[in-house]
Amino acid sequence: MNTAQAGTLESMDCLVTVSEAASGTGVKIQITGSSAARFKSAMEKKVSEVIASMGVKDIEISIQDNGALDIVLGARVEAAVKRLMGGER
Amino acid sequence: MAKNALGREIPDFIEGYGKTKPFQGAFALKPEGYRAGGKIRCVNSTCTDKRVSDIKAAIAASGLKSGMTVSFHHHLRNGDYVVNMVIDACAEMGIKNLTLFPTALFGVHKKLIEHIKNGVITRIMGSVNGPIGQLVSEGGMDVPVVLRSHGGRPRAVASGDVHIDVAFIAAPTADKYGNICGTQGQSACGSLGYAFTDAQYADCVVAVTDNLQPYPVAPVSISQVYADIVVEVPSIGDPAGIVSGTTKVTRDPLRLLIAKYASELIEASPYFKDGISFQTGAGGIPLAVTAFMKEAMIKKGIKGSFGLGGITGYFVELLKEGLVERLMDVQSFDLEAVRSIGENPKHIEISADWYANPWNSGAAVNMLDVVILGATEVDVNFNANVNTEADGALLHGTGGHQDTAAGAKLTIIAQPLLRGRIPCVTDNVYSVTTPGEVVDAIVTEYGITINPKRKDLLDACSAVKGLPLVSMDELVSRAHKMSGPTDPVATEDRIIGVVEWRDGTVIDVVRQLKTK
Repeated sequence: MNTAQAGTLESMDCLVTVSEAASGTGVKIQITGSSAARFKSAMEKKVSEVIASMGVKDIEISIQDNGALDIVLGARVEAAVKRLMGGER
Repeated sequence: MAKNALGREIPDFIEGYGKTKPFQGAFALKPEGYRAGGKIRCVNSTCTDKRVSDIKAAIAASGLKSGMTVSFHHHLRNGDYVVNMVIDACAEMGIKNLTLFPTALFGVHKKLIEHIKNGVITRIMGSVNGPIGQLVSEGGMDVPVVLRSHGGRPRAVASGDVHIDVAFIAAPTADKYGNICGTQGQSACGSLGYAFTDAQYADCVVAVTDNLQPYPVAPVSISQVYADIVVEVPSIGDPAGIVSGTTKVTRDPLRLLIAKYASELIEASPYFKDGISFQTGAGGIPLAVTAFMKEAMIKKGIKGSFGLGGITGYFVELLKEGLVERLMDVQSFDLEAVRSIGENPKHIEISADWYANPWNSGAAVNMLDVVILGATEVDVNFNANVNTEADGALLHGTGGHQDTAAGAKLTIIAQPLLRGRIPCVTDNVYSVTTPGEVVDAIVTEYGITINPKRKDLLDACSAVKGLPLVSMDELVSRAHKMSGPTDPVATEDRIIGVVEWRDGTVIDVVRQLKTK
């Protein structure tokens, strides 16, 4: 299975791992880490928006968070997805 | 269910705690009646040696039985061996249902979890940190933890809210008749301030030492008139852990900026003049404030009167350089402080009662001009939370937060606006430790936010050119914008922690976390 990563576990960053998923399985998001307890909804919303804007329908996303703000989270997700889809590794 | 003065729902009765008195305001409750006291003892010249052979013999001789309350002090911090040693021995002796009444617990005490699970400890009155805090937060104890400040604890003992059956005192040096000294020996920890009340009010006092010296030792912190039993053990603590926990002045530019703003606020205040007294503790930002203040004091030729509370090498330096006249030390944080309190008569040991008890004839905090504190969060009403983390877990003790805030003329909470994504300034704190009525200013990397009720301070700061003043509204909206909306903490109804204000009224309760 193809996977790609972006980000780090530094404070206020996150490590995003994305994996290909079979057609029709949809977007699966898993979030763990320091902000998960209080920001899960906001983080899921941000990740879904980024995924939708990139036209991806089926993907598994795992986020290890260390306090990333939305703007960082979005950028990391976008980078990971682009890496998965071909571009740089 | 009644609402306390801060609008927090406090049940009239809490299972395992009893009837509650709701918080009425920082200085509202006035005590009545007389102090409580321990058992009267009589020891004649037939006893000239209080030593017993080992810790189990000491426990047996103390009369400690299942269901009783045992107390400990935390001057050995993360190096402490005594709490684990005593509770292990109690477990082996079949003693159960103990109430643990420590002045604080540290990571080294996570071993107690097994004794919570096997029923040796059924109640904790005192701070719970790390793994024990997590366990308690998830409902691992049947009885709620009771959190008291450093001043609230001696108040509770002296007023009879808590009766100590046996107090175990970690004694870095002792003699066979129970004179105790904290400044000498391989496990020297300096001040024994938190142990005084326990020594005075417990029915039985056991001195646990690893440095027995000929009678009489000198200097004496806690004297033979309080100690009933002396026991020698191979070691009471790990010296590396005893002086750990002291942070260095931060090198993080963000935190240095916060410290600089806090220092500028102090300089702008009416208290920055000869005779200023202050407490800054051992955190990274407060230590940096001390460093900035020192520069300012030298530059403006100002000399202070005293430094209070937990004492670090930085304060010792101020004393040596004549920038403060005295240090009043309830806990010596590092080797420099331990050395200084042993050698310098201007560096004095004070008890927690003397330091912070609201119900005596006047605590040292009343004489304090400025205190720099931290908090996990502060809200728009300046209420501060130091007990629970963002996820709702009860992970920190109250320390001297309430007492110094209530006593000092200028109480500053210095904190970054965000920790990771988590905002430190919110609409409403998850749990309250210290009410906004005794908090005067919040300092973040965005500037100084003054409690509107301190119009005098606002005027004083406005008169100084270039001081970055930020309104609370602006601060909280900035925090919202950066962090985004938060999910509520998912809790059960059951109360796992009771946060007392320093006068024994309940300022807030903490509920059990829903397990995922």
